[in-house]
Order: sequence, then C-alpha cells, then structure tokens
Amino acid sequence: MPRDGGCQVAFRAGARRTLAIAPSYLPFGMVCGLAAVQAGLGELGAIALAGLAFAGSAQAVLTQFMQSGAPILVAIVSGLIVNLRMAVYSAAIAPRIGQARQRDRLLWAGFLVDQTYLFEEARHAQGEFAGHALAYYLGSACVLWPMWVAANALGAYAGALLPGHWQLEFTIPLSFVAMVTPMLRDATQRATVVVGGIAGVLLFAMPLKLGLIAACLIGVLAGLAFDTLLRALKLHQIQRGPDDGQY
Amino acid sequence: MGSTEGWIAILSLALGTFLIRYSFIGLLAGRTMPPWFERTMRLAVLSIFAALVVPLVVMEHGVASIAARWPHAVAALATGIVAWRRGGTVLPLAVGMATLHLALQAKALID
Repeated sequence: MPRDGGCQVAFRAGARRTLAIAPSYLPFGMVCGLAAVQAGLGELGAIALAGLAFAGSAQAVLTQFMQSGAPILVAIVSGLIVNLRMAVYSAAIAPRIGQARQRDRLLWAGFLVDQTYLFEEARHAQGEFAGHALAYYLGSACVLWPMWVAANALGAYAGALLPGHWQLEFTIPLSFVAMVTPMLRDATQRATVVVGGIAGVLLFAMPLKLGLIAACLIGVLAGLAFDTLLRALKLHQIQRGPDDGQY
Repeated sequence: MGSTEGWIAILSLALGTFLIRYSFIGLLAGRTMPPWFERTMRLAVLSIFAALVVPLVVMEHGVASIAARWPHAVAALATGIVAWRRGGTVLPLAVGMATLHLALQAKALID
C-alpha cells in the first residue's frame, strides 16, 4: 500500500461514507448484545463475541440457539452456515487483490462483512480509488467495527432496561427478513426459501435442535433440484426450436 | 450454562468465521471455484435463514399457530415488502415493529 495523499483521501472517503450508514446498525447491534447476555455469555462475552466474530446474524443465531438449549456444536455450526455467504464475498475480492502481501490479505479477510463488502463492490464497479482499494476498505472498517462493538456493549449493559412488552427481540427475525428479501433474485432462490422455511417448522421438534440444519439441507436440495428441472425445461425448449409443430 | 462453554462458542464462531473470510483471499488464493459451488453456498445461506425465521415468526411454545401468531406474520410480511421495494434496514425494521404493535392491539380487541 503506497503511502501517499491518495491513500489518505481514500481512507477518509471510506470512513465518511460508512459513518453515514452506521446508525442503521445500532438497533441490531444492541439486540445482539442483549441476546448474548440472555444466552448466558455475560457482558464481557457479549462484547468479545461482537469484536471477534464481527458478524451480527451469526451472533444472533448462535445466541438464539444457546438460549433454546441446543448443544453447543449445533449452535456453532448454525452460526457458521449463516456466515458461508462471506466465502462468496471472499471469492469475489480474491482476484482483485492479486499479488497482495500476507499482511494485506489478513486485513482484507479480518474486516469482511456485508457492509464493507458492499462498499468495496460499489468502489470496484465505479473504478474509484484504484490503487487505494485497501485504504478505502480500512476507512470503512475503522468506523464500522468500533461502532458495532459499542452497540453490542450498550445492548449488553443497558438492553435489559428496555420494557419486555416492546418485544424488541422480534427485531432479530425481522432483520433477517429485511436482509434476505432483497437477495431473492430468481425462482430457484424463492423455491429454496419456501421449502427451507416449511421444513424449519415441520422439523422444529427434532432432537438436539438438529432440525435447523436438516431443514437447511432440504431447502438447498430442493433448490438444486428445482434449478436442474428449470434448466432441463429451457434446454428442451431450445432443442424444440421454431418447428415444434412436429411434436 | 457454564462460562467455559460460552467462551468455547465465542472463540469457535470467531475462528470459523475468520477461516471462511480468509478462504479465497488467503487459503485458496489464485484458485477459482466452479459456478455450482457459489450457487450452492448462496442457497445454503438463504435456506438456513428461512428455516430459522419462519419458526420464530409462526410458532409459539413449539407449535405453529396462525391464531396466536398472525400479528407476527403480518409484521414479517410488512418488513419483507418494505425491504424488497426500498432496501436498507432501518425503515423495514421500523415498519415491521410498528405493524406488530398495531396488529397486537387489534388482536387484543378481537380476542
């Protein structure tokens, strides 16, 4: 990373733009912090979880499962499945950073979350700050990470003061809905979600809370089967071509 | 819950998540994956969210009940519609929670 003026400009631009959207993570961070305390991790555990995992949805999944009495391994695996999307982000960024040094690779990986990835995607698409991509990315991370940890700490220490009848814990499923809905871009993805959701209810009572993982697998298999079927149908139509009157 | 178990969970999630993030950036640098791999991973993420969210919305005490949970279902639907049309997180959440409390009031009147 060359240390010139462009580097600082990129860093500040990343930080400024992230500051503009950071407040939208405050409520979710607080709920995550509170949920971690309710799951028995303690205030320090809640802060450590936010700082080290730095992944709101997975934190929420982990703590929901621990609270419902699931075995710890099932809770961890469920949280990690939620984070598999970050492998997709990692694969998208890898070719862009080419021959980057090991230290830079660790920085890219360490702060890779939905929001920093979305900023990097937008920067890449517009060709901004070429040569200073990491500075821009770190500018974003240097706002997002402390803010996230602070929001979780606030929830951990003060969240219990909020009245229970507000049902604030319901913001966790709602925030998942808000996150997933815009990701549903084609029929295969919608089929996956419908089957996964129904399977989640039907398999809810499975022992050891394994129902979630089983339902996830069923949803993926249904999605893949649906995808294969769609492709076969399209191929069939192409092969039939214009003279389908013969059939 | 023993605090040791809690710290195991925290550190495992942190380490596992880092390895996922580092996967293509570091561990598999320079290697490209077949298209089906990325597609399947995206489906897994969507599927686990659905399998998690739907029971949280429609189930109470381990039983799916529309009579008991319709306010939550309507709230989730409202959040989904706003997120679909406008994106973001604050507005969909605010609309969803407002809908939930209006629907809960309506349910109290009906019941």
